[in-house]
Amino acid sequence: MTRRSEMRGPHRRPMAMIAALATATTLAAWSGAPAFAQDQAPSLIVARDMDLNSLDPARAFCDTCQIYLSATYDRLVDIGADNTSLVPMLATDWTISADHTEVTFKLNPAARFADGSPVEAKDVKWSLERLKNIKGGFSYIMDGVISVEAPDAATVVVKLDKPNSDFVGSLSAPYAGILDSDLVAQHGGNANADAASTDTAEEWLLANSAGAGPYVLSAYSPNNELRLKRNDNYWGDKPAVGEFVFRQTKDAVAQSQLLESGNGDIAMNVDPTTAGSITNPEITVSTVPSFNMVYLVLSPGAKNLPHSLDAKIRAAIAKAVDYDTLIDFTLEGQGKRLGSPLPNGFPGSGQVEPTAFDLEGAKALMAEAGAADGFTLDAVYPNVNQYGVDYSLMMQKVQQDLAAINVQLNLQPVEFSVWRERINGDGIPLTAVFFAPDYYGSAQYVQYFGMMDGTVWYKRAGGANDPTLANPQTPELLAKALASEGEESAKYYSELASIMAAENIILPIVSPDAVFVARKGISGLRYSACCNLVLSDITVD
Amino acid sequence: MNTVTIEARKDGRTKPGVIRRVLSLLAGLPPSVLFGGAIVLFWLVTALTVQFWPLHDPLALAGRRLQPPSADHWLGTDALGRDVLSRTLHGAIYSMPIATIVVLAGVVIGAALGAIAGYVGGKVDAAIMRLVDITVAFPPILLAMTITATLGPGIVNAAIAMIIVWWPIYARLMRAQVLEVKEREHVEAAIAGGAGHIRILGIHILPLCWAPILINATMDFGQVVLLAASLSFVGLGATPPTPEWGSMIYDGASRFYSWWIAFGPGMAILTLVLGFSFLGDGLRDYFDPKSQ
Repeated sequence: MTRRSEMRGPHRRPMAMIAALATATTLAAWSGAPAFAQDQAPSLIVARDMDLNSLDPARAFCDTCQIYLSATYDRLVDIGADNTSLVPMLATDWTISADHTEVTFKLNPAARFADGSPVEAKDVKWSLERLKNIKGGFSYIMDGVISVEAPDAATVVVKLDKPNSDFVGSLSAPYAGILDSDLVAQHGGNANADAASTDTAEEWLLANSAGAGPYVLSAYSPNNELRLKRNDNYWGDKPAVGEFVFRQTKDAVAQSQLLESGNGDIAMNVDPTTAGSITNPEITVSTVPSFNMVYLVLSPGAKNLPHSLDAKIRAAIAKAVDYDTLIDFTLEGQGKRLGSPLPNGFPGSGQVEPTAFDLEGAKALMAEAGAADGFTLDAVYPNVNQYGVDYSLMMQKVQQDLAAINVQLNLQPVEFSVWRERINGDGIPLTAVFFAPDYYGSAQYVQYFGMMDGTVWYKRAGGANDPTLANPQTPELLAKALASEGEESAKYYSELASIMAAENIILPIVSPDAVFVARKGISGLRYSACCNLVLSDITVD
Repeated sequence: MNTVTIEARKDGRTKPGVIRRVLSLLAGLPPSVLFGGAIVLFWLVTALTVQFWPLHDPLALAGRRLQPPSADHWLGTDALGRDVLSRTLHGAIYSMPIATIVVLAGVVIGAALGAIAGYVGGKVDAAIMRLVDITVAFPPILLAMTITATLGPGIVNAAIAMIIVWWPIYARLMRAQVLEVKEREHVEAAIAGGAGHIRILGIHILPLCWAPILINATMDFGQVVLLAASLSFVGLGATPPTPEWGSMIYDGASRFYSWWIAFGPGMAILTLVLGFSFLGDGLRDYFDPKSQ
């Protein structure tokens, strides 16, 4: 969620529009439309703290968006159940040029949008160009695209300005969903170079979906409810569940109580402590490893630092955090350590050992850096509970740990919007936030966390004030990784992981396990690298 | 009452005399004053001396985390393994001074402006009272939240916000008193005698206006404690790891099944607010000639 809402451009939706839409959808719900009378397929209620910022694939950027978009918009390619391999979706196959600068997709002639019209190359071209030109959260992935051509109705050719072996993988992200171009264009959509200001389809897309996915949007009421109905015209395998009702439920306790009282079927934001307190035999709790990451960041270039955060001090701080105890305290131990920002299982990960807790070593480094007496750092962080981690709890533990090396933290929990303003403004000496991948591939991590010109965290860590933060090897290695594939590419990512780990600017704390709490008999709940929860996989006994 | 006090001073050299007279004074007070006073006194003493009590460090790990109440930890431990009893009692260090500062500042600002409004009248009165109207037009918690959110979270900013929310009550009260007292004959006599405005207001009017303000202020102490806790609960008051009651209840709310985390601070707020309420109620009865 964070990174997505963080990265959104200056685009803002007028409040009036949301209010009008909320009223309209509420009225529609009251008017008593029979939502699931059409068949006997079960309807499931999902309790979730929804972070939806939009329902338009080109503008949305959030965890709930991943679930919604992947259910309503099929993409060219999908990630297989193994979470690593790419499998065909709208494209039956694709060929990549030897230099990784051109990809040719062949579309499945059977693919149909929800209204029955065929999915054609022009829709793909239009959707990808719109994604690029609207300049929303995920459009960065289209930065290197020179052209998208549709030589015939079943062929799409994408040309890139430089090699990018991650490109096809990135198209498995839900934001790269293909829209029915004629339908959306009728409602204000366009894919022109000025689409960021001239496309007006977002409002219509809040009440309608226009994809070729297994589900269609039936109603959306912001901060209240999101209803998805099975797409009866779906061209692929029909999903088992007839309707999903996502109900806005803020915290873990409320979510688990909704299930315990029989008013909900699946809860998605229950932390391990609360999950452990559920005693109802009708409710099952399953825990699976995720690719999500909770991390601390030290910003050596933040303004008004009381003491320089040089490499030695950063290393000392990294060693002074008692990670295992922290994971026990926040997640009852239900999480994995990470050696670098790359998630376990992604290309290049697993080669770097996670930083070990070493208090004496940390003290020695502080002394070497001439800072044995310590200093006080402002630690501004978003006051959230993300992936089961209560940030206030985590930061109080970090505060206790760092006090042992005389680094005092002045904890300042703030609203997310305030945090974003602070981090993008003067910077924050020590902060904590979170990240989830958009697709299976390591390039997105280097492009987001790497210390090189143009990345989000290079800028936030103060690269402009302190250009020495930049590592000249990072862009070179990334280019090499993107120009190769398979093991060779993984080798470069592994080197990049070592560099990022050694910098001690991004300090990964934990990759929290995903906790699914569900009514007995519901199966198929899995965590997907691209799509969070894949609705069409869910079945009910 | 004045007579009693003066007599006590005159011959109160011997101890038994003092004690007897204090006891007879206390016996003359309504039970609610005694009950409320005892609770308030307990929290006051706690706030002043709790650092010296043999308790666990309220900020440090004191045992296993999320333990229910036991002989070692009477109110259990929280998610970081800190002793909830110790944190609850240390919470008084924050709540009592905040309440005192906010009420005092509210009284001083409100009473001064109210007295000026009531005494001067005319445009000054209209201007001050419209300001009061505007301020009380907002629900207190909402206004306080807006102000704190603008200034940034923290106890000091929360206190500033609460003062801004609180002074109008006293301004209204004081203005009404001044309007009534300034029509009295002794004030007219003073005016006829050529006394200056400051003298009239300070010596002839204000001393007769304090009782309702003091009673109101006593009852407000509890309300301020509650508002401060509410601000912390929504994340705008005390910042972690401060053992402030509101933020402790927030911690407890997210760990619903560990009921003891919120129980301690909840009881602390309950007793303190009740104590101040009883005290204020009793004092009102005591000072109100009609009820005697």
